[in-house]
Amino acid sequence: MSISLSHLTKRYGDDAVVDDVNVEIAEGSLTAVLGPSGSGKSTLLKLIAGLENPDEGRVVIEGDDVTDIDPRHRDIGFCFQHYAPFRHMNVARNIGFGLRVRKQPKNVIDAKVAELIELVRLDGKSKSFPAQLSGGERQRMALARALAIEPRVLLLDEPFGALDAQVRAELRQWVKELHQQIKVTTILVTHDQDEAMEVADQLLIMHEGRIEQAGEPTELYERPATEFVHRFLGPTTMFKGVSVRPHDLELVAPSEGAIEGTVQSVMELGFEVQATIALSDGSTPWVQMSRNEFRILNVGVGSAVSIRERI
Amino acid sequence: MDTPARRPSSELGAPPARKGWRRFSSRLRSSFGLYGGASLIVGYLSIIVLIPIAAVAAHGFSFSIHTQGWGAAFWHWHLSAGFATFWHDITQPAAIGAIRLSLWLSLSVAAINAVMGVAIAWVLVRDKFPGKWFLEAFIDLPFALPTIVVGVVLIFLYGTASPIKVDLFETWMGLMVALLFVTLPFSVRAVQPVLASLDGESEAAAKSLGAGGIRTFLLVVLPSLWPAVLGGFGLAFARAIGEFGSISLIAGGIGRTTTASSYIYNLTQGFLWTNAAAVSTALLVLSLLILIATNVFARRIQRRLAP
Repeated sequence: MSISLSHLTKRYGDDAVVDDVNVEIAEGSLTAVLGPSGSGKSTLLKLIAGLENPDEGRVVIEGDDVTDIDPRHRDIGFCFQHYAPFRHMNVARNIGFGLRVRKQPKNVIDAKVAELIELVRLDGKSKSFPAQLSGGERQRMALARALAIEPRVLLLDEPFGALDAQVRAELRQWVKELHQQIKVTTILVTHDQDEAMEVADQLLIMHEGRIEQAGEPTELYERPATEFVHRFLGPTTMFKGVSVRPHDLELVAPSEGAIEGTVQSVMELGFEVQATIALSDGSTPWVQMSRNEFRILNVGVGSAVSIRERI
Repeated sequence: MDTPARRPSSELGAPPARKGWRRFSSRLRSSFGLYGGASLIVGYLSIIVLIPIAAVAAHGFSFSIHTQGWGAAFWHWHLSAGFATFWHDITQPAAIGAIRLSLWLSLSVAAINAVMGVAIAWVLVRDKFPGKWFLEAFIDLPFALPTIVVGVVLIFLYGTASPIKVDLFETWMGLMVALLFVTLPFSVRAVQPVLASLDGESEAAAKSLGAGGIRTFLLVVLPSLWPAVLGGFGLAFARAIGEFGSISLIAGGIGRTTTASSYIYNLTQGFLWTNAAAVSTALLVLSLLILIATNVFARRIQRRLAP
């Protein structure tokens, strides 16, 4: 195991922000810590990096107990939410910072910086200052800076949080590819379940300082251990008194054996269509379907339909 | 879509054209946005600063007062000999000595307080300790205190009858203590807000990349403080070079501790107005040059840091 956390606890006053966390993270994995804001996920990351000290528990990285070791000796690459660029240094000097601090010879630093600039696709920007870069470029610079020290673990705190939607989608894909290329054990923190499902091969769901469930994304999505995980990982709707995924429901023409209702509202979101159905018992489940399915159904607001679970 | 043909303004319900005074005042108001701000500032500065300075400079250059006989005064115009008189006045050994003393004292005081200002601002921003509120208020004391009060305190504390046996009377050390005291708030207050606005992420980043406390400070924190430190340096320098009240007592009456401001005061006491104006002008030019230099330097750094 690359990282193992045991009984890790951090309190602010009486409030346990991270509460008895026990986790094993596999070598070379890309793990997303997913949770709503205030669930303690960022604090967990800082505890691993040593930027916060735990009240209880141990942090073990590649077999070394680093709990009492200063962050600067942990060999961890940390990317901050707002990238924390050194604004008075150009891109090359930002990336080379960790190597200069480690007193590496100049030719080694120059070679490594050139290699990283190419890796993070900042060619031609080495003399630019952070103020002259776009959000995505700054993010990639921060990543290169963290990778320069050849860390044992790479930690990314809300890496795409401050970017606009399109850049965000591109960077996600790029981070995934980069990880496949360099295979460094990576943990990223996010509150966006789509992002986590898309990028990560392992998920840790955090809620009120505790780990709710850990595992592969599909496994968690299909077999959530708790109601919280079920609700957090995707949309839910109440049908026959239980919480189900709206894409596990379907609409059919009024027929026997199915529950009948009336289409209350329709929302078309490009490929996806969401229809809310008013049932006789007063409940209003909503159904998620493709645009095509909706067209074939040929219904509108006020139409009588039947609703059932997909088989 | 077609653009409809333009109709007479009355049909559109536009206000009727203004006449006379209203039209004039309306134009005045709309042009204010363009030139008003700048001309207001220039006008204000002219009355408060520029005209008096120009008068002093003119006085220093173009005429001198000769006293002859039994106090009978003859006013003499020396329009052509303006620069020669000026040069003669400011190259008096006493004048040079006084200006030199003022310059090096002010520069060292500004430099020392730049360092101490960062240290004190750091403590005020980053540390929590009982009585911090008191220290906060105490730092601004030199702003509020009449400088002659500082002078009295210092002559009591470090004078010939010093209760702590530290006699700085008529020494440059005495002057320096006075100047360090009166300029401290400039240095601290310039740096403090900038330091408070740093989010700490850059420092944490430096730490995770392997930098220790001192290197994090020198390589990451200090570079973002430079413009503020330079700003504080400029203000402290300006204050120190103009300071008179707090040093007038501890300086005593000897030439070795006569600063430019005291020298000018002494000249006026002897009715040597032209000499006083000349030395004032020289001091003014030197101060202005140093202030411009610090400003240009600070701006150059700031431009790089700005997002």
